[in-house]
Amino acid sequence: MTATPISFQVSLPESTAKVFSQGCETTLDAFRTAGKAIVARGVEMIYQSGSQRFHALKHINLEVNKGDIHLLMGPSGSGKTTLLSILGGILTPTDGGICLLGQDITRMSQSQLSKFRLKNIGFIFQEFNLFPALTALENVALALDVKGIKGRAAKREAMGLLEQVGLANKAKSLPRDLSGGQKQRVAIARALSGNPQIIMADEPTAALDSQSGHAVITLLRQLAKEENRTVVMVTHDPRIIDVADRVTYLEDGILQNNPTAIHHQKLA
Amino acid sequence: MTSIARKNLFEDIPRFLVAQAGIMFAVSLVTIQVGVFNGFSRSTGILIDRSAADIWVSSSDMVNLELTIPIPASHLALAQQVEGVERAEALLLGAGIWRSSEGDITTVRLFGFDPDGQLFASFPVMDGSLSDLKQPYTVITDKSNLDSLDVRQVGDTASMGSLAVTLVGLTEDTQSITSSAYLFSSLENVKAIATGGRSANLNCRLQNGEFFCMNVFGESPDENPAPTPLSATDPVTHVLIKAEPGTDLQELKQRLQQSLPNTYAFTRGEMAKRTRAYWVQRTGVGFILGLGAVVGMIVGSVIVGQILYSSVADHLKEYATLKAMGVSNRVVYSIIIQQALWMGVLGYIPSLALCIGLGFWTFATQGIMILITPLTAAGILGLTVFMCVGSALFAVQKVTRVDPAIVFKS
Repeated sequence: MTATPISFQVSLPESTAKVFSQGCETTLDAFRTAGKAIVARGVEMIYQSGSQRFHALKHINLEVNKGDIHLLMGPSGSGKTTLLSILGGILTPTDGGICLLGQDITRMSQSQLSKFRLKNIGFIFQEFNLFPALTALENVALALDVKGIKGRAAKREAMGLLEQVGLANKAKSLPRDLSGGQKQRVAIARALSGNPQIIMADEPTAALDSQSGHAVITLLRQLAKEENRTVVMVTHDPRIIDVADRVTYLEDGILQNNPTAIHHQKLA
Repeated sequence: MTSIARKNLFEDIPRFLVAQAGIMFAVSLVTIQVGVFNGFSRSTGILIDRSAADIWVSSSDMVNLELTIPIPASHLALAQQVEGVERAEALLLGAGIWRSSEGDITTVRLFGFDPDGQLFASFPVMDGSLSDLKQPYTVITDKSNLDSLDVRQVGDTASMGSLAVTLVGLTEDTQSITSSAYLFSSLENVKAIATGGRSANLNCRLQNGEFFCMNVFGESPDENPAPTPLSATDPVTHVLIKAEPGTDLQELKQRLQQSLPNTYAFTRGEMAKRTRAYWVQRTGVGFILGLGAVVGMIVGSVIVGQILYSSVADHLKEYATLKAMGVSNRVVYSIIIQQALWMGVLGYIPSLALCIGLGFWTFATQGIMILITPLTAAGILGLTVFMCVGSALFAVQKVTRVDPAIVFKS
């Protein structure tokens, strides 16, 4: 059964309408000063399959600060991955607006959106999604290649990224010869290629044992904080809360609470 | 980006080899069909191509080299008097039944010419020489006919009608694959063999002040009667002309046609083209071989398409990952197209080598040439690339439809 997004008319709250009627361009300075990397307002996602409609996300309002590690948590089917896909510009919401780095991505064409993702977002996946035929070095170099860094420069930079994630000695290894933790570190190196400001990670520790998972998260936090990158991470893993700056809970497509408050509770 | 296409291809070597076998099959099928077509077409006009004649004069009813109406041998003398003619020689075609010493029979096509001439038999003779044809009832044949004539070597004999015939030499690359075995001999021998060893007497009588002449054939009292020279009233099939240097061939053709009644003159190229056109177009052979090539193309496209589609399906998540990263469709398509090109080129090279080898073998053993010219090779490379890239479009469709959001599904 295939579910497809449908258009949906919704009335935005007055504050939301105010922000998006102006567009991100006019609110860019405001976002910068507020240090927001991501702002989502009134995001709705409805899938339609035949006569069935599934309301995956209901009126999501979310802000992610620059340099934060922001977790999206919640039970299976709560809409976390859908929200991550929308925030990453891979899915288009049925309604609402998304501003990434001051640009309203919901107003972009597919081509503009692709270019935006390529330049500004790095992705990390639960199943790593490395190219099995390419070595660790080539996997990272490929990402650089598509971002315009070619040939030896790409190889040199890819090697630098592998060094950053502690895998320089595995540069010539194929993914099948790497452990789960090593594969995810290669995926992190790939996500960091081209120096994107936002990293979107989907359950990056789900396929790893606890030790590898912890090592990956520690690395991700270190890399994010060193270069002030924003990380949005979907996870079920409660241990990751320790390294997060903010946590957002989703249930049945509804944001459960103020993420900042959760963070404060955690710190307390 | 090249490496991803190539490495995806080589990731699973057994599957790659199976895929290449499929492509090789398709490319070989097309190459052989085209090569056989070329070889067939070439062979039908090979004797014309290899002649040294500038112009061929034949009956105005002539259809092709072998299908024509005889013209009088007296045309030879007339042709020699035409301005611009340096040399004229007669070519006499006949047919017969060859009976080997084992008693097996086969049809043969006889070509009679002057062994001292310069215009027809300008091909090399192995194991013998053209001058041996001056001996009565001697023939030369293409070495590819040895099996069909059931002879082993020069010196072997056979019979044609009541006449004993001896093989005195072998040629190479002189046989049309559409025709019976060609036998080359002197005009006198061919005339004698074609008449089956019967003797001919020209009986003339004077009636009302005019001569009335009639050729009267009868069984020769000798087992192998001595062949007799061509007379002016004997038929010949073609008159071959060597033009004087600097002569305009088109103008010479006109003069020959005017001087030789009921004839038509062709340049060597026109004659070869006419003969080939007959075999290629009017017999349907060209259509059949062309159909084979098209079927090969279709089979190849299906194979390549299926392989690429399955390869793309196997790597769909990787393509979705690229799309999620923001890589444009154009770049993703180029990976698939590159993969198709690799498959095409890597399938083409061994296929071509295989077909060239096969061509040598069929020519050596069967006398059938699979002619792969540089133009043919380039054309088939183009077709292979077209076939592979065309097939890749199916795979591209699949990638076009892939939702990059699948990258988040485990």
